[in-house]
Amino acid sequence: MPGGETVDVLDIPRFSVAAGEHCALEGQSGSGKSTLLNVISGIMRPDAGRVLLDGIDLARIPEAGRDRVRADKLGLVFQSFNLLPGFTALENVLVAMAFGSERPDRARAASLLTAVGLQHRLDHKPSALSTGQQQRVAVARALANRPRVVLADEPTASIDAAHQQQVIDLLRNTCSQQNVALVVVTHAPEVAEQFPRRIRLEQFNRAAAGHRH
Amino acid sequence: MNLLGIAWRNIRQRWLTSLLTALSLALGVALVVATLGTGGLVKQAFESGAGLGYNMIVGAKGSPLQLVLNSVYFISKPIENISWEFYQQFLPAAERADGSDGTFASSSKTAVPICMGDYFRGFRVIGTNAAFFNRITRGDGQPFAFSSGSNFRDDDFFAGVLGATVAAQLGLKAGDRFAPTHGADDGKVHDPFTVAGVLARTDTPVDRGVFVNMEGFYLQDGHAKPVADGAAVAAPAVAQQPGAPLPLPAAQREVTAILLETAAPPGLPGMPPLPAELTAMGLRTAINEGRDGQAAQPIAEIRQLLDLFVRPLELLLLLVTALVVLVSAMGILVSMVGSALERSRDVAIMRALGARRSHVLATVLIEAMLLAGGGGLVGWLLGHLLVGAIGPWISTNAGVSASVFSAVPLAEALLVPFLILLAIAAALLPAIAAYRTDVSKWLQGPG
Repeated sequence: MPGGETVDVLDIPRFSVAAGEHCALEGQSGSGKSTLLNVISGIMRPDAGRVLLDGIDLARIPEAGRDRVRADKLGLVFQSFNLLPGFTALENVLVAMAFGSERPDRARAASLLTAVGLQHRLDHKPSALSTGQQQRVAVARALANRPRVVLADEPTASIDAAHQQQVIDLLRNTCSQQNVALVVVTHAPEVAEQFPRRIRLEQFNRAAAGHRH
Repeated sequence: MNLLGIAWRNIRQRWLTSLLTALSLALGVALVVATLGTGGLVKQAFESGAGLGYNMIVGAKGSPLQLVLNSVYFISKPIENISWEFYQQFLPAAERADGSDGTFASSSKTAVPICMGDYFRGFRVIGTNAAFFNRITRGDGQPFAFSSGSNFRDDDFFAGVLGATVAAQLGLKAGDRFAPTHGADDGKVHDPFTVAGVLARTDTPVDRGVFVNMEGFYLQDGHAKPVADGAAVAAPAVAQQPGAPLPLPAAQREVTAILLETAAPPGLPGMPPLPAELTAMGLRTAINEGRDGQAAQPIAEIRQLLDLFVRPLELLLLLVTALVVLVSAMGILVSMVGSALERSRDVAIMRALGARRSHVLATVLIEAMLLAGGGGLVGWLLGHLLVGAIGPWISTNAGVSASVFSAVPLAEALLVPFLILLAIAAALLPAIAAYRTDVSKWLQGPG
């Protein structure tokens, strides 16, 4: 915080997701959703505690190790898609593969895009795709390195209402097919209620509870 | 897809900026290559002349450099003439009318006179004798060869030989006739000569020369030295064809310079022969202390010219072109800083996908190296094409072959690697900025 004051955003005693499990993390703006995703994905290190992903504690390993784990075991889907604008749909998936342990595989990248219904858009750049199509590319990219978990941050926020359900269905179906755990962060109750497990983040939010040092 | 592929994609994404940056680098490199190439050719032009088969030039007192430039490279004006009698001092008994050795005959292996003053369509006309091409060798020790015809004979007064460039430019061949002009191209037109032969290309100043029989040269209007009324004038003993005009009397002759190959001093019995340079040192001193003329060593004068003027000029040119390359390399920094905002988001995305900091740093540096390498290679090609384009002009005026393939191998081999290192240095700041990109800041706001 400005002035050097430290604010605890989240205090989570325990949160676990089983292999292949789908769950929704529900919370309004400021509830710590992005912070939690950054910690789970290894982009940020928690101030205390552990983050175990397939037995690896992300809180204890150096940044390069966290990057490697993120590449191999996590898939990320962002609210604003975050596709590389200068790369085609196929290349966006291949870039994700470039940082994983396995060699980039054009055939597999093409099959992932086919699985999300973009077989005729492989050579299109994001600017030539609709928002729904861009999110599909993001889903395919998230699955590029055969992750254990897909983290989706407000995946329907930038999608028009008519296609939001398609995105949720796509995520759930593709993750189910590949036995990948899915954690969707959302502020929309209508999205959260579709998941067998709903967790409200406000219960972990210490900033809201006024915890300061 | 690998880091190289990602870097290439990034370049293509910003294709206009990348193209302009690479083009700017290419132009800088082209300048350096062209400067290196033409500088090398200029040096070669001077060194080729200094390496002809004679090691001394004797002429009138004055500037040794002017003597060499005029006699070897056929540029600048002759200082003055030296007397026929002084020239005779370098001849052996068999070539002198009095049947005795000249004063310097024992030190001279070959003494070839040259006479200047005429032109033919922009090319210097040199009056000489057949010994010029029969006894003097090219710089590589090989005798002069003829692409057509042959050398003129001493008894054929109005015959001549053309250098390769002269024949090619003027479209002349053996059997054609040409008429020199006195003093300049618009001077009085002399009696014509016949082309006896055209020399094969030598890549020396000889290629630009029009060589005529000295006897015919002397018989042209205005070439005879005036003598006092009533003075005895005896014709020298020269072979002549039946019906040929009488040769010019010796008293009315002068020469512009003597091309001298000094004789090797006699060695001790059973020992290897001593070098001719030992004779040259003594002969040069003897001539220069006299009043009749001066002796200059072409190699020494040309090296001095190169050291005093050509090399500093070349260095200055290289410095300027190197600065151009440096500025061009800074273009990489400018273009990368300009795209920093866009790059930061791309870097954050790649980091979120699992790229390590070293990956993003390497991607930026690879991008810079690709721009430098591509621009450098195109520039190298452009530079050679430039030298090739002005090659005919260089060949004509400098007397050396210049083409697309003229090169300074070592310097050019170092050029592109140096440019790549420069590009890495220029891209270091943007690379470090990419390395330090705050991923969470660029991907999303506070949750």
